[in-house]
Amino acid sequence: MILYLLVGLGILACAILSISARRLLISAIWLALTSALVAVMIYLLGAPHIAVIELSVGAGLVTVLFVFAINIAGEDTSRLKSIIPTPVAIFAVVLAVVLGLVLILRANVSVALTAPLPENSAILWQSRYVDLLLQVVLIFAGVLGVIGLLAEKVKPHREEETE
Amino acid sequence: MTMAMIAVMIGGPWLGALVVWAVGDKREKLQHWLAVLFSAVAGAAAIVLIPNATSEAIVKIPVGGAFGDFTFVPDGLGVFLSVIATVIGSLAVVFSTSYMKGEASLGRYYAFVLFFIGAMVGLVLSSNLLLIFFFWEITALCSYALIAFHNDDPKAVRGGVKALIITSIGGVGLLVGALVLFAYTGSFDLNTFLGASGTIPANILSLLAFGFLIAAAAKSAQFPFQTWLPDAMEAPSPISALIHAATMVNAGVYLLARTFPAFQGVPFWREAVMIVGTLSAILAAVMALTANDLKRVLAYSTVSQLGYMVYAIGAGGVFASQFHLFSHSIFKALLFLGAGAVIHSIGTRDMLEMGGVGRKLPLVKWVFIIGSLALAGLPILNGFWSKELILEAGLKGGPAWLYVLMVIVAGLTALYTARCVWLVFFGEPRTEYHVHPAGIGMKVALIPLALAALVSWIAVGPFSALLGERTLPYHEIEQTSLATVIHEILTLPTLIALLVIGLGILLWFTRSKMEGLINGLRSIRWASEKSFGFEALNTAFVEVTNNIAEALRSTQTGILNWNVFAIAASLIILFVILVLGG
Amino acid sequence: MNLPLPLIVLITIFCLAGVGLYCLLITRNLIKVVIALQLMVKGAVLAFILAGNLTGQMNTAQTLALTVIVADTIVAVVGLALAVQIRLRTGSLDVKSLSSLKR
Repeated sequence: MILYLLVGLGILACAILSISARRLLISAIWLALTSALVAVMIYLLGAPHIAVIELSVGAGLVTVLFVFAINIAGEDTSRLKSIIPTPVAIFAVVLAVVLGLVLILRANVSVALTAPLPENSAILWQSRYVDLLLQVVLIFAGVLGVIGLLAEKVKPHREEETE
Repeated sequence: MTMAMIAVMIGGPWLGALVVWAVGDKREKLQHWLAVLFSAVAGAAAIVLIPNATSEAIVKIPVGGAFGDFTFVPDGLGVFLSVIATVIGSLAVVFSTSYMKGEASLGRYYAFVLFFIGAMVGLVLSSNLLLIFFFWEITALCSYALIAFHNDDPKAVRGGVKALIITSIGGVGLLVGALVLFAYTGSFDLNTFLGASGTIPANILSLLAFGFLIAAAAKSAQFPFQTWLPDAMEAPSPISALIHAATMVNAGVYLLARTFPAFQGVPFWREAVMIVGTLSAILAAVMALTANDLKRVLAYSTVSQLGYMVYAIGAGGVFASQFHLFSHSIFKALLFLGAGAVIHSIGTRDMLEMGGVGRKLPLVKWVFIIGSLALAGLPILNGFWSKELILEAGLKGGPAWLYVLMVIVAGLTALYTARCVWLVFFGEPRTEYHVHPAGIGMKVALIPLALAALVSWIAVGPFSALLGERTLPYHEIEQTSLATVIHEILTLPTLIALLVIGLGILLWFTRSKMEGLINGLRSIRWASEKSFGFEALNTAFVEVTNNIAEALRSTQTGILNWNVFAIAASLIILFVILVLGG
Repeated sequence: MNLPLPLIVLITIFCLAGVGLYCLLITRNLIKVVIALQLMVKGAVLAFILAGNLTGQMNTAQTLALTVIVADTIVAVVGLALAVQIRLRTGSLDVKSLSSLKR
């Protein structure tokens, strides 16, 4: 239990540090740490495959992307005042979280974790071809989107549309 | 096979819309050809489907618990209306190739036309009310976009917005009806509803019946919503033909005809339907008599003829109403395309500036006269047979005073038609105008329509078979034959109606001798120019909607944080409802 | 004090989503927006895994979680690319400067 508690607290702490960091680069690094701790928790819950993927993609690839993007876009050091008053935002978030928890806990959730099942990765995808297809499409769309967006030369009519 | 045909009829035009739009406005010729190709393919598929009409659901797409199955049923009504939508629609597209030559943003034009045709087919073939609502709103959107096609003209934009708002009232009526239906039968399926309408409590059934009546009245421009259709005249002429003959306004009549078996027992419903139809027919006919804009006259005549169809449904003559819809689609498309050719040739819509056009455009003159005679209901054109069928149904199933009114409207129809034809095509030119000849695409579209207006009534036998027991089990439409219909029609009431029609035409040619009478009717003229006050009502409604929209605009800041806040707020509201509700 | 394990994970999930939501509400920096989305989606992945564990259907849970991770990565990629382009075009990462709606 202590282990779960520690990891959970770690995740929250990293998340809060991530959103409150002044510099974007620091934010990204805290995000990577959050991701790593989430991966640990996923592992504890008995899903090692996803844990590995989360670690490599969430903590690795995405962080690289962030660093890359922040390098191009540059640090935005101007401290802009938020549009929504902070107390209102905090109130809304706390209300949503508490209500959601109340809802979940009122439902009849069995409170014991089951032991991790023996894994057989062959059946992992057996009935989920649709997901696989979806992922391929998504990755394709992502690649296309990035190529389109990072292209240096922009067609003239495209310029009109975005502005 | 049938499944593939349905897919071609809906998916074909929609695919075409994308393709034509993607081709780009620089390749104008290709756009014309592609639009004709895609609409013609859909039309061919619809015709092939006629012998395969069945009351069984051919396409069934399960979409999970709440929505039921998305079903497409190619039954008689659906196939008939989809043939109208695709065939008349493709003729309008053919006409457009000449009419819209050299216009800017043709891609937008054809994309919306094809989208419109596909949506109309979907509307009439689907039997799931939720899906019908979906297609219903697409047709509303397309009509808005096409009416306001010349979007630098404020009048056109106003007409488009008006059409959108008024027909959206109808959409709300339909949606409410669909939800109430779901609450009481647990299914959105129309055929299930028609089969089990007896099990629904009477008060709920009457709520549904009048909800659908409002929906149909708004869509088909019936009393008291009749003013959006004349304002839609700012659209290019082929679009008017499309809206008046092939797609939009038929949807309302279709909805009434489709649900008639379930609602016929509802107290006062049939009377209400008949009165709505009669009022629309009379008011529109009087307004057509005083309008000077050629397309406006035709628009009022559409409202008036739709009034006949609605009246027939109320009187129990579903077959007569659908047969008139069939005739009306043909001759109204013919009239609008003919009017389009005239307007395109001389560049004005004001009939007082025309006169003597017939000598310059002989072909257009003759086809227009054929269409007008069909509209007036003269034998042996198709309008005669179907109008007489309606009057007969009215005599059989409705009160006598409504019948008398409808016969008088037939006379008025003849009168305004004669006035319109005379002012445009005969007499001496009243202004100096320059005539461009009609394009080849115009002729190609006009001639088949004129021939059809002459002979389409011969198909009454097969038509009744199409709408018969086999494909529409709940409508109790008897199969008839041409001989029976002729025998039924050649009776005394028809002679009286013909007499009134003749009187109407005569009235126009003797107008100079009746100055006194005309002066006496000044006040009616004044009132009709104000649309008997309903213009103000409709405009007020549009204004209120616009103002609400203006007021709500301040909620759209375009700032991400506020949008997220709205999401969070709705989440909290949802949670609170769930926590409190249990 | 002995908290049940699923409760700890649940609270973690909800608080993670809450922190992300808070950041979305407060921040005006586009890259921060992407970071906040990442945090929220990590909560969603954890929720899938927890649900799989509780119902014993870990395979389904894992495939779904994987789909979510892929989708989320694409969101991050496209979001960052958009942010970079906006920075290059408008010279700012401010959310407010993007609004061109008439008010």
